[in-house]
Amino acid sequence: MDRADGVTSRRQAPRNRLQAPGPELRPTAPTTGTVACPRCKRRFVAERYAADLNVCSECGHHGFVGASQRIAQLADPNTAETLVVEVGDRDPLGFDDGVPYPQRVVRARERTGLHEAFLTARASLAGNPVVLACMDFEFLGGSLGSGAGEIFARACELAVAERRALVAVCTSGGARMQEGIASLAQMARCSAAVAEVIAARLPYISILGDPCFGGVTASFAVQSDVIIAEPGARIGFAGGRVIEQATHDKLPDGFQTAEFLLAHGMVDAVVERGRLRDTVGTLIRIYSGRA
Amino acid sequence: MSTTIETTERERIAFAAVELARHPERPRALQVISAITGGWTELRGDRLFGDDRAVVGGPARLGSRSVMVIGQEKGTDPMTRALHNFGMPHPEGYRKAVRLMRQAEKFSMPVLCLVDTPAAHAGIGAEERGQAWAIADALLCMLGLRTPTVSVVLSEGGSGGALALALADRVLALENAVYTVAPPETCAAILYRDAGQRARAAAALRPGVETAHRIGLVDELIPEPPPGAHAHAPLVIAAIRGAVIRNLDELCEIPIDELVAQRQRRYREAGG
Repeated sequence: MDRADGVTSRRQAPRNRLQAPGPELRPTAPTTGTVACPRCKRRFVAERYAADLNVCSECGHHGFVGASQRIAQLADPNTAETLVVEVGDRDPLGFDDGVPYPQRVVRARERTGLHEAFLTARASLAGNPVVLACMDFEFLGGSLGSGAGEIFARACELAVAERRALVAVCTSGGARMQEGIASLAQMARCSAAVAEVIAARLPYISILGDPCFGGVTASFAVQSDVIIAEPGARIGFAGGRVIEQATHDKLPDGFQTAEFLLAHGMVDAVVERGRLRDTVGTLIRIYSGRA
Repeated sequence: MSTTIETTERERIAFAAVELARHPERPRALQVISAITGGWTELRGDRLFGDDRAVVGGPARLGSRSVMVIGQEKGTDPMTRALHNFGMPHPEGYRKAVRLMRQAEKFSMPVLCLVDTPAAHAGIGAEERGQAWAIADALLCMLGLRTPTVSVVLSEGGSGGALALALADRVLALENAVYTVAPPETCAAILYRDAGQRARAAAALRPGVETAHRIGLVDELIPEPPPGAHAHAPLVIAAIRGAVIRNLDELCEIPIDELVAQRQRRYREAGG
């Protein structure tokens, strides 16, 4: 519904959305039942799948990961301190497409336990002081509204104030159409915030997950020093379906996948989820001039 | 793909406003450039892959100054519309714009951007060559550029494809222009899964530039005599010239460090 790329929304990852929202990190996966890999359909005990970071041990498919689970996967154990950023409720257009927009936000909050599509934390990552800014695709398609934009901008400012590296995990359908032009303005806001991180000469590493499209890709997701993509992630500006409908061209094999973008020089590396913490940690250590 | 749907009066009015902004006889970038500047010399190519005709640019004289003028050109007849890809830039267009902005910075020339695009081009080549990357880079370039910048939204400012040339110190817009997160057709496809409901999307999105003015993306509206700029091109172009020169006069008085800091603060707060 909130996808700018026109890719059908899928539920891939086991979810744990029953806990009340709170500053503490929620457990990273359900503790009962089984889940099936969305690609090869192999079934796993939920704990096992979560322990594998929602990566299928059979076919290597990388499933969706929520923002709080992301933070738990990237931060060193017991170091993540979730930042509580209360942004006011916004409905600049009084948008109603059958369900009033504010009500959609309330439902997304109940479903995800998150305040907005971004969750940020102060943490240590492989021993490096970082600010983590993670998007959650389950929150209105990870769409970039003014609340999400403000949370990201504050994360950038915290990184500058405390001289921490910035690590962003981006997974989004793009702009939040329900906020109209105010959503477009978030590309400006987030870019201005990134400009401060750049001016402070702090490392900024972005990790692009599946999917990442529209105004998110066309702003902060690729304004980083290093762009890392997860295997198989679909990344681009306009979505494949939109392009196919508009141009009637047949899309090349693997169009807009992480591997396709690597071959076209658009990302620095495709890194398996299990290697993200080490890879990002090593980069930050090197950029910071430490052994 | 459009379907027959019931359209309310409000939706009809909203979409009529979009159609007015798309009127084929509204002033286009090249027309404005040739009317308000002297000696404009077009510079082409992004030095990386090609030359995108949806974006035109080059140095010129405007009043008593040398300026770098960059515009999105939609074309004026079937042949030029196709040549300029209906004003929908490829990555090369944004990279050329960035190249020219850097050149302007080098020669301490202010930059004037004329915004007129339904959206950045959606296509295989554009994606392969990093459309998102090109736009993201243009945004950062405009935010940090150490020379005064003015953008004018002529008719249609659509999506990040417009924003990439619109993060200026002063953003002016013709009164009947629209400035939207995406064209109403795309919004309808995303929100209602039906591009045919573009009138409904237009009504919901409030695409008029006054919305962009209210949330801080546009500073000043340039009035158009009724029924609109298409019927009074010379008058409206003269008004654009006057407004741009007045704003450049003001901006050139501000020390550059202060100007860049003001610009970054302003866009840090944009959008509420």
